[in-house]
Amino acid sequence: MYFQLAFRNLRRNGVRSALAVIGIVIGVMAVASIGIFSANLKTSFLSSFQNVTDEVLVYPAYNAHFRHGLVTTSGVMYIDKRTAERIVRLPYVKDYAFVKDTFTTARHREEVFGVTVYGMDESAVKKLFKAEKGILRLSDSCVVGYDLADRLDLRVGSRVEINGHKLRVSAILKETGARFDVNPNNAVLVSLRDYDRIFNTKNEGYNFIVVWVKSLKDVSLFKDAVEKTVNAREKKVEVFELKIIIDQINKGFSFVSRFLMAIAGISLLVAGVSILNIMLMSTLERTKEIGVMMAIGAYRTTILKLFLLEALILGIIGSVIGAVLSLAGGYAVDMMILHSAKYLLSLTTLGYMLEGMFFGLLTTLISGFYPAWKASRLEPLEALRYE
Amino acid sequence: MRAVIELVNVRKVYRIGGEEVYAVNGVSMSVRKGEFLCIMGASGSGKTTLLSLMGCLDRPTSGKVLIDGIDTSSLSDRELTDIRRDKIGFVFQQYHLIPTLTAFENVELPMLLKGVPKAERERRAMELLEIMGIAKAANRKPSELSGGMQQRVAIARALANDPEILLCDEPTGNLDTKSGEVVMNLIEEQNERGVTVVLVTHDPDIAKYAERVVRIRDGKIVEDPGIKLG
Repeated sequence: MYFQLAFRNLRRNGVRSALAVIGIVIGVMAVASIGIFSANLKTSFLSSFQNVTDEVLVYPAYNAHFRHGLVTTSGVMYIDKRTAERIVRLPYVKDYAFVKDTFTTARHREEVFGVTVYGMDESAVKKLFKAEKGILRLSDSCVVGYDLADRLDLRVGSRVEINGHKLRVSAILKETGARFDVNPNNAVLVSLRDYDRIFNTKNEGYNFIVVWVKSLKDVSLFKDAVEKTVNAREKKVEVFELKIIIDQINKGFSFVSRFLMAIAGISLLVAGVSILNIMLMSTLERTKEIGVMMAIGAYRTTILKLFLLEALILGIIGSVIGAVLSLAGGYAVDMMILHSAKYLLSLTTLGYMLEGMFFGLLTTLISGFYPAWKASRLEPLEALRYE
Repeated sequence: MRAVIELVNVRKVYRIGGEEVYAVNGVSMSVRKGEFLCIMGASGSGKTTLLSLMGCLDRPTSGKVLIDGIDTSSLSDRELTDIRRDKIGFVFQQYHLIPTLTAFENVELPMLLKGVPKAERERRAMELLEIMGIAKAANRKPSELSGGMQQRVAIARALANDPEILLCDEPTGNLDTKSGEVVMNLIEEQNERGVTVVLVTHDPDIAKYAERVVRIRDGKIVEDPGIKLG
């Protein structure tokens, strides 16, 4: 019956209540839509870095210093083969790929172009990439990236000349997103044997090693192990955890997302002020009624609860509608900026809807509290006599 | 007979523009159980303030108000509310029904505030509306009822928690003679049932219903057949 009383009081000033609800709807919708969009943007961005968290990159400890206007270098350019073998025999390593790479010019028919050439084992290529056309094979042939093939009109069976060596294209890779290890889109991938033959690097070490550890917690263990063994006497290699990079991106995104949501929160604040306003007016208009309630036996806390209940009803209605509409809002922003809404229906979206509802309710309760408190502090006799 | 209401040298002072106004100035009186008492006085005589003090709607500036032997000056707001809810029923000149609730729900409200179970609440509310002869209007809102009917709903509401005392402030003040008579007969019936009635009015015709009439002027009792005045 308290609920009925509260609900009817809201209905008594239907237009006013409706306006307050609309305020909350807009506020909740803004907060939740922005949250949903940010989350989808992040998911869309990170989807290209999938499954790299157990990946660790080992680079030679090569440093460039600027001193007295001169560039001096220290450390080594390559990871020598002996060190490389030691690294991949560490206990935490599940799998690995030795990689040599360089930027050079290549030729296809009459066209000369700049290209990255990677030398790596066929198994590593198969592990990392999928072929769009052709079959991944590196013996006496090469694999080319999607963009490169597209730009130069390369096909399976085309011939590419690098450093005077002609290689047959065995496969064209599927397009991939940005990667930290090997970026194949604009590259030619050859076997290590062919790489050494082309660039005469048989006696040089590797440019980097991709290491897959057995489990996520092994990442730091592996790093420690490298420091204690290979790097014990002299810093020979640097270890980069991709997990940390992903974590950083995640952090950056959630910071931006919080910031945007806070800006959207201003609209919720405005809605809160309007609730405060209508509830204060309502308290004033119903002063006499409050006096009657108190005279016939309502505690101050009962009056407080009744007014809070009214605020809560406005909040629930506004928040639920706002949350539902935020799905549409999220969809609209997704389509506008990401041109796709495929990440919309997810648990994260639901999370942001709930979060928007939570803040909507919180706003109404906070702004409803002062009028409710004020109503509960009225003196029964004065309230009864109020004109 | 024991006293259900006892006032001991009660004063109520209001400050109006820095000036002290004694609405009630040293009133001592007692109301016996089952009595029908009328307090008469002109407007501004302090009769309504006196009724509010008896009804624990207000606290005296000095002096004591005892309800059923309980000294109310030491009670908290919450305890005063309990007394109003359980021991006292109010009937106002303006009816003061809750406009959003139906007649039936208005009668239910004091019981809801007391925590009476729903079934019992509904049974009692219907019973009271029947006693007041307005059972047919149970589902109407106050705005759809005549003044006389509204006041009957108000009496039913006042009786909801079966109070010992019924405090009526000019209950017929807004009613025509015929409706006023119906309302007064209903109040008299309750008095005959044993409910103590204190009624404030300036209308001598209404005062006739009472067995004892106390006259008040400028916040002081000028005539009370219950006690001998100097």
